[in-house]
Amino acid sequence: MTRRVSRGALLVTGAVYLFLHLPVLVLAIFSVNASRYSVAWTGFTLDWYRKLAGRADLLRGLRASLIVGSVSTAVATVFGTLLALALARNRFRTRRAIEGFLYLPIVTPEIVVGISLLVLFVLLRVPLGLATITIAHIAFNIAFVAVVVRARLDGLDRSLEEAALMLGADELTAFRTVTVPQLWPGIIAGALLAFTTSFDDYVITSLVAGTGSSTLPVVVYGMVRRNVEPTVNAISTLILLVTSLLIWLAFRLTRERPLAAARG
Amino acid sequence: MAEGSFPISISRRDFLERTLGASLSVPALALLESCGRGRPAGPRAGSTELGPLEPELNIYNWSDYIGPDVIPGFEKEFGVKVTYDTFESSEEMVAKLQAGATGYDLVVPPTYAVAVLLASGVLAPLSLKYLTNLGNISPLFRGLAHDPDNKFTVPWQWGMTGIAWRKDLVKAPPESWSVFLGREPRGKMTMLDDVRDVIGVFLRLRGHSINSTDPGELEAARQDAIAAKANLKAYLSAPVKAQLIAGDVWLAQLWNGDAAQARREQPALEWILPREGSTLWIDSLVVPKAAPHPRAAHEFINYILRPAIGAMVSAATGYGSPNQAAMPLLSDPVPYPSANELARLEIQKDLGRASGLWDEIWTQIKSA
Amino acid sequence: MRTFRRRLLALLARRPGLEAASLLAPGTLWLLAFFAVPMLLMLAASFMPRGMYGGVDPGFTLEHYRRFLDPLYLQVLGRTVVWAGAATVACLLLGYPVAWVISRSRHRGLLLFLIVLPFWTSFLVRTFAMIFLLRDTGLVNSLLLRVGLISQPMTLLYTPFAVLLGLVYGFLPFMVLPIYASLEKLDPSLLEAALVLGARPRARFFTVTLPLSLPGVIAGCLLVFVPALGSFITSDLLGGAKQVMIGNLVQNQFTSARNWPFGSAVSFALMALVLVTVMASLRLRDRPSGEVTR
Repeated sequence: MTRRVSRGALLVTGAVYLFLHLPVLVLAIFSVNASRYSVAWTGFTLDWYRKLAGRADLLRGLRASLIVGSVSTAVATVFGTLLALALARNRFRTRRAIEGFLYLPIVTPEIVVGISLLVLFVLLRVPLGLATITIAHIAFNIAFVAVVVRARLDGLDRSLEEAALMLGADELTAFRTVTVPQLWPGIIAGALLAFTTSFDDYVITSLVAGTGSSTLPVVVYGMVRRNVEPTVNAISTLILLVTSLLIWLAFRLTRERPLAAARG
Repeated sequence: MAEGSFPISISRRDFLERTLGASLSVPALALLESCGRGRPAGPRAGSTELGPLEPELNIYNWSDYIGPDVIPGFEKEFGVKVTYDTFESSEEMVAKLQAGATGYDLVVPPTYAVAVLLASGVLAPLSLKYLTNLGNISPLFRGLAHDPDNKFTVPWQWGMTGIAWRKDLVKAPPESWSVFLGREPRGKMTMLDDVRDVIGVFLRLRGHSINSTDPGELEAARQDAIAAKANLKAYLSAPVKAQLIAGDVWLAQLWNGDAAQARREQPALEWILPREGSTLWIDSLVVPKAAPHPRAAHEFINYILRPAIGAMVSAATGYGSPNQAAMPLLSDPVPYPSANELARLEIQKDLGRASGLWDEIWTQIKSA
Repeated sequence: MRTFRRRLLALLARRPGLEAASLLAPGTLWLLAFFAVPMLLMLAASFMPRGMYGGVDPGFTLEHYRRFLDPLYLQVLGRTVVWAGAATVACLLLGYPVAWVISRSRHRGLLLFLIVLPFWTSFLVRTFAMIFLLRDTGLVNSLLLRVGLISQPMTLLYTPFAVLLGLVYGFLPFMVLPIYASLEKLDPSLLEAALVLGARPRARFFTVTLPLSLPGVIAGCLLVFVPALGSFITSDLLGGAKQVMIGNLVQNQFTSARNWPFGSAVSFALMALVLVTVMASLRLRDRPSGEVTR
């Protein structure tokens, strides 16, 4: 089975990865730079990391972002996948219209979405807080996940699923053991996109956040725009390192399974 | 619906407007009703007598706009837990409060926003009996246009908008706003990314008010602004500091406090108030009607009014302290504007309906 | 539990429409409640006169939509569409090869992760890092000067080039991930068959790979184009705020302009444009296969 890839494609890919990671490298380097303004290298220091421990607001923001991000991603991934399935598998007249409407949460300027949600919450007397932020994030994340999973579903080979049905599995089992594994890359891609969108969201979040429920971008926005203090670089680098570690661990743990499945 | 089939002749369009207007005014009134009304628990803000001290306080302010020890000091002395939320655009803060967000006890709006918040029914008058240190505020900052009877605001910090410039890179001090219309230093100048600040400059340049709503004056300002755009490197607000320090930008429209902060890392940086005059801005403390902890809010305001605390705030922010009792405690205070300077300074007022015209001009400037 | 399952499946078998409805329900209901309803409020507001200080006054008017038809604002829309289009094309040209390489690689998990990793830093912090790199006194210019490739610093920052760079940076995963999801299930034996039948690489790409990955390409293009239409912060930070996009316009209406209804009207005009574009693209996607494989 040949997996040859043209040299051109490899070159472009290499350049793209370099381009993507260069700014990240820069910001990591400045997290250990002694100067307050990220202008020039003035010496190595871990002060900014030490300062992080004292920045309760940054840590609280991080915690809020993680909670909102994981909950909204989990819910949106489930709802969005189901939605994509319905759209791909069934013919009904309004199908394409619904699919078209899915793109609206993605294009609508955030301030409009944010203000309108705020007005809704106020009218319904819903207290603002992490819950309202999560509700808002689930809404736009459903759209992202549905669109990505939908792309995956197109042209997905139904014959495996039909074979399972013919062999006596009921629909739910067939879905669980055949369809979902095939869908998995699409679901993961959608979930990743949803989480990063949620983690980075500023405008909608700041409008529907209640007192004391600021997420990381809301806390960081001011710091970055007005002073670009390296403490922000420090927390960003830390987030990177921790997520890399977590993903690496998850990767190591799940790698065993394909072999075990083949054997057993 | 054929025209003329009504007993009174009414045009179709008129009818449409009336019925739709009626049916839309239900959600509209709901929207309006939602703007700025909250349901606070105990004794409401605005009453002369407030209840006992609450255990919590929610502040909504710019980030980095308070000294690091101010809040811990307050928390320890009064036993109140303070939550400090931040915004990065006063306009977004205003929109959020207008849409009906509640929960904040203290908010820090600029002068023009006070009128807007008042008109939207968001603010409560201050319960003055709890503000015993109010006398520390300099008379320069009392009785101003945005709050003539000093009923709703207590000044927080003040500043001016001028020009920050690198004396090692620019030959002559930019004493006039016309520097932006000139060629030198081309491509090394920036203005603030703010509709009021940019158009205001070109109004002042021709001797008009920064609050002008006259179409003729605004048209002249628009043409100047478009002419100046060709000489600008960019429209930058706070992020221009890093560029000034690095030398990418040689001359920038900037607030005096930010310039002072940047000077700590780049001694060649100077700040000047152009001779045509500029904006004097004041950020104030206000208490929303829906504040859940009005007593704690007032105690905090009174605490800030202490000379030592006022000095702490200004020392950290680099901006001017309106607290004249705090001035002697500061090592390098921003001096109060002289009579000469005051004559050249104006306070921004809300533009009312003219904000639409200003926005159209801003869009035209940015589209040029 | 088993009897519940059996009863559920029997029910679904009897009423085929129910299956579709139950799959659709959670997502659609959520979006209806927390997107459609708030948007309807905004739609109503777009037909009302503006309040003096923001918000709305009672009444009905078409003036906001009429105002949007002014050449000034249509020009803003046009400019935004051009930028979004440029970002989409750039992302496609760069993202397709990347998605291809990842789908053929043994380390696809790692590569996918590396594509997404930069996005777990704050967007603003990343953008400021780019500013540092692209400044006149920044890293790129310093390196080029030192190596001797240029004698004067190039103006990279606050240019359209910088904005495009920033947009591509921000939207690349949105292009790569759907294309990857589509390519990953591409059966290599199809390509082998084409190779055996004598097709050159270019022919193989255009007759086998591209058509089969088209759903992913369309999804990727839409996922970049659509949000790019609403974006404006990249243009402000990396372009020096020297131009106004639809996103800026709407933002301004809710802030300094205090004209909420006009902001709503502009947003709905934008949404209408997107709906039309998306429906047309979906029709294009559905055309070749036509029937859903069932």
